[in-house]
Amino acid sequence: MNCNQIRELLPDLAAGMHASTPEPTIEIEKHIASCAACAAHLRDLQKTMALLDEWQAPEPSPYFDTRFEARLREEMARPAAGWLSWLRRPAWAMSAAGVVLAGALVVGIGSKSYIFQTEAISTNPPSLGLPVEPGTAVGDLQALERNDDLYADFDMLDELQVQDDVTANP
Amino acid sequence: MANSIVTTDAAVSDVDVMLRVKTGDESAFAYLVQKYRRPMVGFMHRLCHNPATAEELAQEVFLRVYRSRASYEPSAKFTTWLYRIATNLAVNHARDTRHERPENTLRLDEPDQETGKTPDLADESLTAEEQILKRERLAAIRSKVNALPERQRLAVIMHKYQQMDYREIAGVLKLSESATKSLLFRAYETLREQLKEFVSGK
Repeated sequence: MNCNQIRELLPDLAAGMHASTPEPTIEIEKHIASCAACAAHLRDLQKTMALLDEWQAPEPSPYFDTRFEARLREEMARPAAGWLSWLRRPAWAMSAAGVVLAGALVVGIGSKSYIFQTEAISTNPPSLGLPVEPGTAVGDLQALERNDDLYADFDMLDELQVQDDVTANP
Repeated sequence: MANSIVTTDAAVSDVDVMLRVKTGDESAFAYLVQKYRRPMVGFMHRLCHNPATAEELAQEVFLRVYRSRASYEPSAKFTTWLYRIATNLAVNHARDTRHERPENTLRLDEPDQETGKTPDLADESLTAEEQILKRERLAAIRSKVNALPERQRLAVIMHKYQQMDYREIAGVLKLSESATKSLLFRAYETLREQLKEFVSGK
């Protein structure tokens, strides 16, 4: 092991922790015994560690347990964190409402188109003559053929057109 | 080596205890809180520098443990999981309150202002001059540790003050062991250099 490898292990050694170094401690100690630079480095680091020991953390206050028990009781009293608890938050309530609305629209449109489909099927005559499909050329012509009133109007319109022509071109 | 076996055994039993918490055993949870309340308060104190906030955050860690009991899976040591929760909480808290405390760095040099007393300096055997020197040293330690890059600071606090080994720190910080080793090496090198004047004066 060279000096660089040894120095990476010195923090553990200086802190008195040998357990986390997989390298045998004897080998490290042997190197330090024979290397003045690494030995000095270790002494410096041990002093730094001792200095860091001065920073003591306070003990938990006498009220720690009481306060924690109160917070824990509050936590336990809260209903289990199921989907209903999300609805209590305004943002979640809004998005939930949005989802419900969107769902209703989808269901509405879906059922409407289903109704259209069933109506179309039920009104179709089984197989008598040509099926009348409104909007197609054949359907329009068949509708015209049956509409006597419209033909009467056409006759009247023809007469009017003739008269217009006469008055326009005397 | 005997030490590491004890540590492993203790960790296994903590996992077992946590699995009992998972099944609804409240006394198992109380046991874990009692066992880790002191190290958690200490950890949070060194990360946030305010005793009241440290206690509140430590309590929040245990509440989060309780809340996530049902989904707990013993994939790592219990303490790794516990410190990961604590670290996330402390880092988020620091981020959220960063703008509320622009005097943070100054405050570290004057610990008296925080609570009206200094629990770190409760040593009446020292003379007034020694008290002042000790206070200066303490302020330097805190500010130098605090000035380390975030991960180095967390690693040092876990290694030096929570007695955690490289592997465990690596697990909390989600780093490789070798990356953790060099992270700690760099952190201690910085501290050794920057705290030199306080060391030589001793």
